[in-house]
Amino acid sequence: MNGEKSAWQRFLASDFFYDFKRSPVTIVSFVIVVTLILMAILADLVAPTNPFDPGSLNLMNGFTPPMEPNAFTGETFLLGTDDQGRDLLSAIIYGLRVSLFVGLTAVILAMFIGVSLGLLAGYRGGWVDAVIMRIADIQVTFPSILIAVLIFGVARGLLPPDLRDELAITVLIVAIGLSEWVPFARTVRGTTMVEKEKEYVQAARLIGLGSSQIMVRHILPNVLSPVLVIATITLALAIIAEATLSFLGVGAPPTEPSLGTLIRIGQDFLFSGEWWILLFPAVTLLALALSVNLLGDWLRDTLNPRLK
Amino acid sequence: MDEFIRIEHLNQRFDLSEPWLARMIYRRPKKFLDAVDDVSFGIERGKTYALVGESGSGKSTIARMAVGLLTPTGGRVLIDGQDLHDGSLSVAEQRRIRQRLQMVFQSPYASLNPRWRVGSILAEPLRVFRLVDGPQAEQARVHELLEQVGLSASDARRFPHEFSGGQRQRISIARALASKPDFIVCDEPTSALDVSVQAQVLNLLKQLQRDLGLTYLFITHDLAVVRVMAHRIGVLKSGKLVEEQATEKLIESPQSDYTRMLIRSAPRIHRAAS
Repeated sequence: MNGEKSAWQRFLASDFFYDFKRSPVTIVSFVIVVTLILMAILADLVAPTNPFDPGSLNLMNGFTPPMEPNAFTGETFLLGTDDQGRDLLSAIIYGLRVSLFVGLTAVILAMFIGVSLGLLAGYRGGWVDAVIMRIADIQVTFPSILIAVLIFGVARGLLPPDLRDELAITVLIVAIGLSEWVPFARTVRGTTMVEKEKEYVQAARLIGLGSSQIMVRHILPNVLSPVLVIATITLALAIIAEATLSFLGVGAPPTEPSLGTLIRIGQDFLFSGEWWILLFPAVTLLALALSVNLLGDWLRDTLNPRLK
Repeated sequence: MDEFIRIEHLNQRFDLSEPWLARMIYRRPKKFLDAVDDVSFGIERGKTYALVGESGSGKSTIARMAVGLLTPTGGRVLIDGQDLHDGSLSVAEQRRIRQRLQMVFQSPYASLNPRWRVGSILAEPLRVFRLVDGPQAEQARVHELLEQVGLSASDARRFPHEFSGGQRQRISIARALASKPDFIVCDEPTSALDVSVQAQVLNLLKQLQRDLGLTYLFITHDLAVVRVMAHRIGVLKSGKLVEEQATEKLIESPQSDYTRMLIRSAPRIHRAAS
């Protein structure tokens, strides 16, 4: 029918893009998210200085307010500097990179665990289902941040001290990933239970395909669209969880500060008048989490035909 | 009489009991439903046997046991004398038997995976049973199958949602044919289609039976369809076979009250018979 149209033209003509164009909030969120992601990826090019390079730091530059020349060195910083003379804008850009990296990989981990367990529970049913879903039920009765702290604490205890800082980011990812898998598992289980009764699954069983092949090749592609929505919303949660953990001091190490670490540092100076050290990382985190969340909400509404 | 499939004293009992804990607390006994109760019949090679009956009479349950999707709780399904549900068969033997049995499903909307292209849907049985060597042979066979059911080779690149109900049922039939089966169970293959499209699909099934010598087990509640398709008819009621006859004989002189009622309630066939 529209064979001569390119994929891009079809996308521009789709309901999906039409919905997107009609929602200014979504467009703004999308622009913010894309800008922040690009900044994080291109941090080396975008950031004025490298905040992790101790050689470029000058302690005399400490506590420079935004847009004002430093009293000693005369240098000016767009967003000011922190106590060690680190340019805040650069620190935020690099912190964004850590936050986004941890958030994204944690969501991918949570998605992998949740989708696998959900598929298994939904397809097998019986006691497999009962065991997996009861574990999920127990887990949601704890706040996920508590679970993350618990996993983080256990992992730190098990790791040799010299590896702790090196593996802190990995541990953080595992902790957040393990604490956010439940919504994925529940949704996928529900859709799987519907899909497995459909006749195309019977047809696959008829030619003698095994359960794992049916789950992965036939059912999985049909349960993924709600997963996309949950992944987006969970991304916002994971970024906030990372910031919370880092704020509590159990997350990203000071050598690799994330937005949460920057907020924790800034909070020490809030009442002594250096407001900018706290404010700018916090606003960045807020903008990122809010935009991702709004995008997720829009995606959920758009992909759910019953809400139209 | 050369029978392809013989069904002997088939039983299916479903456990409808509440969960164990609820039974213990409320002191309720276990509950069972005999969906299929001591059903026996055979189908001659190259012929069509129709099972008719109201909803819940056990037609589809028998169909699923006949192709091995469901294990009977009693009785046997013999394919060319071999017990389909015999646990002692080797994997290779089971595979060989399974390859000869296929099914066309009721809903043309649920029976094709919506995320797969038609070409992949048809190629899957070819790969699983290793019927073709290499991608070229596979593609050639897929095109051949599509043409066999009256679609065009270029349809292989399209997705199921791009087709109408009748066309999808043709794709379903092509998939069933892919593994070169001898026996196809048609589980109400036309009940979701328009009357005009129904006739086309039925004609296709008949033509394929003539060309390929297929044996059909036809599940339906539509006596008009039965009359066109079936050589023999079995009437099911609450899981029991109440009557079994050659098609014309059953419609002209039904023996049981239940069959008479079924025929009377089918408007088209009633007019034709009177």
